[in-house]
Amino acid sequence: MKIRILGGCLRMFSWGAVLLLTGSVLVLLGYLLVKGVPSLGRELIFGQVDVLDAVLLRKRVFDGLFPAIAGTLSVVLLSVGLAIPVGVCAGIYMSEFATVLQQRVFGLMFDILAGIPSIVIGLFGFSGAIFIHKYVSNDFRPCMAVSVVALAFLVLPYITRTTQASLQGLSIQIRQAALALGATRVQNIFYVLLPQSFSGILSGIILAIGRCAEDTAVIMLTGVVATAGIPGSLLGSYEALPFYIYYISSQYTDSAELMSGYGAAIILLGVCAILFLLAFIIKRQLAGPAGPEPGRFYV
Amino acid sequence: MSCKKNIMMVVLVVAVTFFQVPAQAGTIDPFSGLSGEIRISGGTAHIPVMKEAAKQIMSANPEISISIAGGGSGVGIKQVGEGIVDIGNSGRAPSDAEKEKYGLKLFKWAIDGVGVAVNPDNPVTSLTKAQLKDIYSGKITDWKGLGGKEAPITVYTRDESSGTREVFWKKALDKGDIVSSANFVVSNGAMKTAIANDPNAIGYVSVGHMDASVAGVALDGVSPTIDTVKSGEYTVARGLYSNTKGDPSGLTKLFIEYLLSPEGQQIVVQKGFVPVN
Amino acid sequence: MTRITQKAARIVFFFSAAASAMAAALVFGFLLVFGFPLIGGGEFFSLLTRRWSPGQGLYGFLPMITGTAAISVLSIVFAFPLSLGTVCFMGGLGPAWISRLLDGFVRFMTGIPTVIYGFLGIFLLVPFVRTLFTSAGSGMCILSASLMLSLLVSPTMIIFFKDGFDSVDFRYIQAADALGADNVQRLIYVILPGAWPGIVTGVIMGLGRAMGDTLIALMIAGNAVHVPGSILDSTRTLTAHIALVSASDYESLAFKSIFACGLTLYVLNALAVIAVRRLGRKRGPV
Repeated sequence: MKIRILGGCLRMFSWGAVLLLTGSVLVLLGYLLVKGVPSLGRELIFGQVDVLDAVLLRKRVFDGLFPAIAGTLSVVLLSVGLAIPVGVCAGIYMSEFATVLQQRVFGLMFDILAGIPSIVIGLFGFSGAIFIHKYVSNDFRPCMAVSVVALAFLVLPYITRTTQASLQGLSIQIRQAALALGATRVQNIFYVLLPQSFSGILSGIILAIGRCAEDTAVIMLTGVVATAGIPGSLLGSYEALPFYIYYISSQYTDSAELMSGYGAAIILLGVCAILFLLAFIIKRQLAGPAGPEPGRFYV
Repeated sequence: MSCKKNIMMVVLVVAVTFFQVPAQAGTIDPFSGLSGEIRISGGTAHIPVMKEAAKQIMSANPEISISIAGGGSGVGIKQVGEGIVDIGNSGRAPSDAEKEKYGLKLFKWAIDGVGVAVNPDNPVTSLTKAQLKDIYSGKITDWKGLGGKEAPITVYTRDESSGTREVFWKKALDKGDIVSSANFVVSNGAMKTAIANDPNAIGYVSVGHMDASVAGVALDGVSPTIDTVKSGEYTVARGLYSNTKGDPSGLTKLFIEYLLSPEGQQIVVQKGFVPVN
Repeated sequence: MTRITQKAARIVFFFSAAASAMAAALVFGFLLVFGFPLIGGGEFFSLLTRRWSPGQGLYGFLPMITGTAAISVLSIVFAFPLSLGTVCFMGGLGPAWISRLLDGFVRFMTGIPTVIYGFLGIFLLVPFVRTLFTSAGSGMCILSASLMLSLLVSPTMIIFFKDGFDSVDFRYIQAADALGADNVQRLIYVILPGAWPGIVTGVIMGLGRAMGDTLIALMIAGNAVHVPGSILDSTRTLTAHIALVSASDYESLAFKSIFACGLTLYVLNALAVIAVRRLGRKRGPV
């Protein structure tokens, strides 16, 4: 009898939790869409300038999101580009060559790096920039290069972890087949293991791209500014979409600017949501042929 | 009759063509043909003027790129002193110590005031200095005693590197205490937004920034408007400075000259400040 | 030829791994070096207990520590029942097709940037809190920040809880079903006890995420520098403090104290990571 009451309560509780969670998020997103969709359009991104002129960099965009979007794109591509080789190689080492002790120690360091609050990484980037400014070159200051390196630090653990996990997740037959045929370990890695675990690694990369695109704390301390135009050089300041949203939220001067903030939020949300969903779908495809793993209790 | 009209038309057209004042005054011309970067940071009160000036210059000459950051007067002075930016804006004159340490050169291009502001729905429109000091030090905590609704006062303030804060603290608060439960905002723009969104707010903001979204509060009977700042009646005033490390040269020099030129001063007026020329 | 490529490749891999591992140490090193003047003098512990008043030469961050603690703990208090309830729902208390949708929805939530939570918090949540609690002043307070933060960390906690649920040996579940247990009994007697390490891990990871978040606290907690007295008080977290002070200065003693702040956050995070790894090892093969 008691268990039935408890069961009933538990059921109500779990339904309540689900409704509350999904309800609040849907309300928030609904509000965002309702307020922001009207402002979406060519003018939001390109201001008064013609689309072609802006994209071909013939004319500057002053009242649109284009510089911020370009800034975010550049910084994301560069930092993920920096992190991929290092991360993938590190993941390969961890999965193929590392001793147990190395796995433990390196694994601990990777986990610590993954958990460092992003503002602390931003602080590190800033201090690095000041260090270079003082002791190497007086012209150096917080700029896109610093942001790129700091963001690479931020997403390195994602790529390393997913590379390691996807390589280790390959079945023993795949791992040993080429070796049995006389291939060297390195040949095995490049010709067999990497191609096989490609989708896993790719999903990790996409996750890293999403993480970079949405991050605000790191870039706030390492070179992003409110007005800078299209990123000109690695050693210059730049704008970024998440920083624009933060900046506008506290300092909008009229309702048009506030509306552009909503529009920017929708764009950022859309980009991140698509990236994470993509990563998830790719990972699902990976697990697909093997079927759901044993132990899934709600199949 | 129509013949006369036609001649009139021709004369009119010719007159208009030849007497047309060019939209861009000649002060943009020194920038033509040049390329490079100008890095600006510092006072947040300066930003609207900076943005407009940058827009004019960059539209006329796409080879020049101007980046503008905020941070407050303290940041502007330090960054220009350390060579991180070319122009450091400040809403207060750099101290002698700062001038000597960094070798700064000052250029004042506008006069501005720092006004007390409350939400437009707040019935309180005037305070004495004593009342203001008590509000900020935490002695008065409710709007009731001041003529407003019964509601707790939310105090807003800026961080220590803000020039706006410095002027307000020195001249309006007579260096009094600021209560530790005050909310912090990071710029004049943010202060405006915070006050506009909170019916019980009180804060201080650059007079040039004030618009319909906040209501200026008269201090000891004097309203914070551009006219009272200009006439000197409103004493909580300060200059808007652009500082450079040593004598400015190249694009930086041209930019500062532009700010002080008739066209630049027109932008200053347009954005709500008092011009110096 | 191949032997050299082999050796070279192996060296490259090793250096990548070593460099990545050194990254964490490098961050720690920079923080230590830059904060040294304040830390070296043995003042670190006094910093933990003093208040912040740079005008009077006080660079302690006690108010910020209480701010971080208050917001993080409160957000976990909100998020824990939400997450546990959701996972129990997915664990059989609700229809399977909804569970699958829910799974996708939670994954989607992990992709929502925190700046968006902060942005929506300012315009939707803060006025709501302000009208609901008249003593909340501006509505920018611990309560608002915690509510938003709980939405941010819930997906993380849900995923870890679910991993814990999944790790319960399927044979036990089958045994319970064979003995005639219904969904509720199976949940309470078999799954929850076995998933306990996963639940603890989830709480720790959620707490870590909550402590490390900057934007939500920066945008909706008010940033006042006092020790908060109630959840309707405005407060400042360590992370927001770093963002605010960094934005304004980098030479003074005030700024150097920020590195001590950063170190505190770093150490707290490292402790959490070590605790989670210990838990994972204790569980071993289930």
